[in-house]
Amino acid sequence: MIDLDRVSKQYENGQPAVDEISLHVNKGEFVFVVGDSGSGKSTMIRLLLKELEPTDGIITVNGRVLNTMRHGQIPKYRRNIGVVFQDFRLLEEMSVYDNVAFAMHAVEARGREIRKRVPEVLHEVGLSEKYRSLPRQLSGGEKQRVAIARAIVNRPQILLADEPTGNLDPRNAYEIMKLIEEINNRGTTVLVVTHNKELVNEFQKRVIMMRKGTIARDVEEGGYIEA
Amino acid sequence: MRLSSLFYLIRQGFKNIGRNKMFSAASVATMTACIFIFGAFFSIIINVDTVRRDLEEKVGVTVFFNEGITDEEIQAIGEEIKAIDHVTEVTFTSADEAWEIYKQEHFASNPSLAEGFKDNPLANSASYTVLVDRIEAQQGVVDKIGKLEGVRQINQSSGAARNLASFNRLFTYISIAVIVILLIVSIILISNAVSMGIATRRDEISIMKLIGATDTFVRAPFVVEGIILGLIGTILPLVILYVVYNWLVRLLLMRFGFLGEMGNVLMNAGSVFAVLVPIALVLGLGIGLFGAWVTVRKHLDV
Repeated sequence: MIDLDRVSKQYENGQPAVDEISLHVNKGEFVFVVGDSGSGKSTMIRLLLKELEPTDGIITVNGRVLNTMRHGQIPKYRRNIGVVFQDFRLLEEMSVYDNVAFAMHAVEARGREIRKRVPEVLHEVGLSEKYRSLPRQLSGGEKQRVAIARAIVNRPQILLADEPTGNLDPRNAYEIMKLIEEINNRGTTVLVVTHNKELVNEFQKRVIMMRKGTIARDVEEGGYIEA
Repeated sequence: MRLSSLFYLIRQGFKNIGRNKMFSAASVATMTACIFIFGAFFSIIINVDTVRRDLEEKVGVTVFFNEGITDEEIQAIGEEIKAIDHVTEVTFTSADEAWEIYKQEHFASNPSLAEGFKDNPLANSASYTVLVDRIEAQQGVVDKIGKLEGVRQINQSSGAARNLASFNRLFTYISIAVIVILLIVSIILISNAVSMGIATRRDEISIMKLIGATDTFVRAPFVVEGIILGLIGTILPLVILYVVYNWLVRLLLMRFGFLGEMGNVLMNAGSVFAVLVPIALVLGLGIGLFGAWVTVRKHLDV
């Protein structure tokens, strides 16, 4: 599903953010990517989103080589990837409903389809009641639920989450991770970048630990501490 | 693109205006000021140009003939003059008509004086009045007429022609310079306003791109917004200008009676705006569209 073959990314300041990493993630897998700040976790997410170009190596997602992908093909590629960020990145002036519907409009879904699917997804993330609220009227946990709803509304094959619980209290963090696990149980491949040791230990999934741009450890069903 | 998507994007464009009230108001105000100044200057230019053309048309040359010339020969000269390039009008004034005009001009107050002349004292004053299309072409036409058989004398107001020709050139240069400066200033001011508006929405654009929106989809609401702001920023100053222009024309005609007596020296608002409206609309829409297109482009590379 996701293949990184000796991938490097060097920024202009010279220090490689990601240094010759190779990695394979199977379809339907749930992977935690952990490590200190600056270890290259977020760069990896950005490379997978084709927000950044690798300096070296080959990235293959869903059988498509990202290195050779043209600018015009990127939107279609991204529609198969749901993405969630630590800072939610919601459109502040749009209601909860519109934030989620926006992702469907972006893929030019039919109006009828949008009207059916958006309430469905809001129900899944437990926000049916708040569909008219603006992001500023929501709690951190609720905002992240909206972001998750937006990420999965187009039924992507992959969900990338960059520190999805970073701004949340432990209870909300746990609930968000449970929600992501449920999405994974329905067949979506999930890659979660996190600092949250408790959650990693609690969920017992595959853990990739990064250090200074390289993969220091890669264990199946491991925990943060054990790894 | 689906029709529903198109309507969605147009709706988003309208919503963007509401969401960014300050930016929208600043853009419209900038555009209104620019188009208003442009329109005001354009109205002055077009009026001055009308006066200039009017004068140009009235500055003709008078051609007199040798003594004893026959009517047929005069007619042949007339045909030859008409065939010269740039000649637009050739009017014949017979000796008798010339005398009648002279009498009206000089003996109107005392007609009995004119009766003292038994024969026409202007017997050899039959003439052609020749008008040319461009004042600059007058000297060339005069030279050609001078070479024609049977032409005794040509009267031209060479000073007036020269002055008008140089005024023409100066006026053209100034007009072009002022319009170019105004256009550059407008484009800079408006793209600045649009840039500021869009810079605050850079995050929004990057979110759209990461979700998988195409460049067209991201750009469309901004373009719709640009068009709407462009339209408002054009129509508003045009309406103000129309009212001010009409008021000013009335005021000038009332205060300076001679302007009315001179005929159509001041153009009516209808004629001015028939030209100004399409130019201003193209300009306003163009600036709105161009500003939105270019500035969004800078932020699309996500």
